[in-house]
Amino acid sequence: MLNLLFKRKMLAGKNRLAALKGWPLAKNLAFLSVGLVMLLALYAGFWRLLNYLEGVQVIGPMLSWKLTSMVLLITFSMVIVSSIIISMTTLYYSFDLKFLFSCPIDLRVLFLDKAFETVFYSSWTLLLAVFPYIIALGRVKQLDPGFYFSYIFVIFPFVLLAGSFGILFSMLVMYLFPSSKTRDITWLMGSLSVSFVYVAFRFTKPEKLLRPDALEVVAQYINYLQSPTAPYLPSWWVTKAMVSYSAGNWGAFFSYAGVLFAAACAVYVLMYYLSGIIYMKGFSGAQNSPRFRGKTRLLPEQKLALRYAGFKDLLTCYWKDRLLLARDARYWSQAILIAALIVVYLFSIRQLPLDTQDLKSLVSFLNIAVAGFVVAAIGLRFTFPAVSLEGNNYWILKAAPVTAALIMKEKLLISLVPSLLIGAVLIAFSNRLLGADLFISVLSTCTIVIAAFVISVMGIGLGALFPDFKVENIHQLESSYGGFIYMACAMGYLSLVVGTQAWPVQMHFAERFGRVHPWDWRGVALCAAAYAILNAAAVVIPWKLGLKNLERQDI
Amino acid sequence: MIKIQNLTKTFGAYKAVDNLSLDIAAGEIFGFLGPNGAGKTTTVKILSGIMKPAGGRVLVGGYDIVESPLEAKKIIAYIPDEPFVYPKLTGFEFLRFIGDIYSVPYGEQAGRIPELLDIFELSAVSGELLEAYSHGMKQKLLIAGVLLRKPRVALFDEPTVGLDPKSIRRFKELLLDIARNGAAVFMCTHILDMAEKLCTSVGIIYRGSLIAKGTVAEVKKMASGGSGGRSLEEVFLELTE
Repeated sequence: MLNLLFKRKMLAGKNRLAALKGWPLAKNLAFLSVGLVMLLALYAGFWRLLNYLEGVQVIGPMLSWKLTSMVLLITFSMVIVSSIIISMTTLYYSFDLKFLFSCPIDLRVLFLDKAFETVFYSSWTLLLAVFPYIIALGRVKQLDPGFYFSYIFVIFPFVLLAGSFGILFSMLVMYLFPSSKTRDITWLMGSLSVSFVYVAFRFTKPEKLLRPDALEVVAQYINYLQSPTAPYLPSWWVTKAMVSYSAGNWGAFFSYAGVLFAAACAVYVLMYYLSGIIYMKGFSGAQNSPRFRGKTRLLPEQKLALRYAGFKDLLTCYWKDRLLLARDARYWSQAILIAALIVVYLFSIRQLPLDTQDLKSLVSFLNIAVAGFVVAAIGLRFTFPAVSLEGNNYWILKAAPVTAALIMKEKLLISLVPSLLIGAVLIAFSNRLLGADLFISVLSTCTIVIAAFVISVMGIGLGALFPDFKVENIHQLESSYGGFIYMACAMGYLSLVVGTQAWPVQMHFAERFGRVHPWDWRGVALCAAAYAILNAAAVVIPWKLGLKNLERQDI
Repeated sequence: MIKIQNLTKTFGAYKAVDNLSLDIAAGEIFGFLGPNGAGKTTTVKILSGIMKPAGGRVLVGGYDIVESPLEAKKIIAYIPDEPFVYPKLTGFEFLRFIGDIYSVPYGEQAGRIPELLDIFELSAVSGELLEAYSHGMKQKLLIAGVLLRKPRVALFDEPTVGLDPKSIRRFKELLLDIARNGAAVFMCTHILDMAEKLCTSVGIIYRGSLIAKGTVAEVKKMASGGSGGRSLEEVFLELTE
């Protein structure tokens, strides 16, 4: 029966590939090419890093294996957290579950099918990102191709084990607290865990690994390198298996690989057995919604609409979206991750080894691009998907007497406040931490406020140009063709912003260095004009294209 | 009230609606019948303004749905075949949203919403999120939304799917009320018995083309030159064979 369930997935995949013809095929190939370029860039970065570490006298090989064990440990932790979040959907809320549960399929077989699906979805992107690292490691250590096969051999039970943690967790939690509320709480806990791991990892200052002088005693450093990263976790067993393979120690390699496979088999046998007892109760409970008591009093937006009748439609759509966002646990988990990102960002700024005041001011200026990137990345989660997330309910607005322009304006209004706030907070605090001078502080703050606005407009415009009302979650939109175009446009815009301001900033530094007549006002005017044209184009073009597309969009 | 002139809709090479022309007067209940895939849903989507026609013209209350969509949509109420609603709004909030977006004054909403919730036996769950509602409850909520805005044109696509027998009876009564108040009703349905008893006129669409149109009695006579003594179901099956 499990074969049949796998076969349906294979057939669906095959049909999806067969349906790729013409423009969709070209689009996907372009997407694939960009992905390959990114993997190559990752490979180049890893290769440089590992080459440097391997070249360190005496402890070089130890350093690279230590880094490998850390990479595998992080991968292991990330797969666990992903599997907690993903298993809630795959095991309890997949669209096909009701059908599958009604079929004469053994419950445990159905569970195994969904468990493997969970492992696949929670690990494939991480494994893809780690693969360039492994190739670089093999190249730097000049290992034969068998090394890569040995890696693939041991990584299989490794991801199965990592995924099993999340699956077991979800299954037990749903068994003990069978309600859809449990899913929301799990998502929030998952995001909190990721944020905690991310912040804690950054606060340990991993850059110290590259600076042996940071530890006072050499012996202490060597001890640190030789100590297992986490001796009882599969990530360490994989590292040891790979070290053994590279040393030609076959006995040790097979013993570690054996431990990995035995542990994976044991865990899945246990889950197979458990699922027969507890899976059904959890699935049944997942259909229950907790009681909710909505209020019937007038909302603030409705009170405003009474006063300003011209904004009634805008305010109506606004309160609808505000309530939907506030009640969706997925957005809260995203907000937690963003908060962690901001903390790490500001911590990293504080840790920058900058000596002079001028250097600090220069970094503050360049920080516009980095903060802008953060705003754009957050926009990819919130702003760009805003139109598409109307989903199947879009018929309500499409049939209502409201224009597509109004729908887009309202989505912009919802996205604008967090974008502006995040951009302004990042720049204001960074400037304070760096002690940037007044000119740079004012320039960077004004620029990020304008950039946050432009990037938000761009996100809504391109979101309307590439809408997908059939999508099930935000992640599908983020990794879509439209999402890629949005990020590319935002990056291009930010590069040009820094480009147009570079000359006036250069004049400012010339003044600080004491040059006579540093300011060329015609040059400043030219840069200001170029900046104004750039912003106008970045706002008008995506907005108009998106609006035109949304107006002609059929449902 | 609804004027359809040579309406055509194509999806690639496939013609979903082919040169359709219809006139539906105020106070009329028009039953739009046809087998699966005949073009009923496509037609009603075009009438509601959520889909653009490839050719022809649709006038609703004198407004061209393509040229003046906002004016037309203000007087239309539409319920699709699948009752998709915002899962994180409560039943009460959903009706309030419909009331706000269709400019029903707050004072009127305050009186009508509880009344409609009561009529459709949704008062007890009006504070619950819509994700907890059944298919039938969502359908009843959408019908309540139609009644809240007092439309001049009501478009229904399989409106009774998921409704319990009591709600179906209530829906029929309300449909007659809507028409009595001067609105034109356009209803796609597979329930031929309901169409026969309720509709003042019917049309049968088959493979995108209108193959019969008129009062129920007139349509019955069209098939095989019959005397009109047969049921609408028998006539429908003969025409769409």
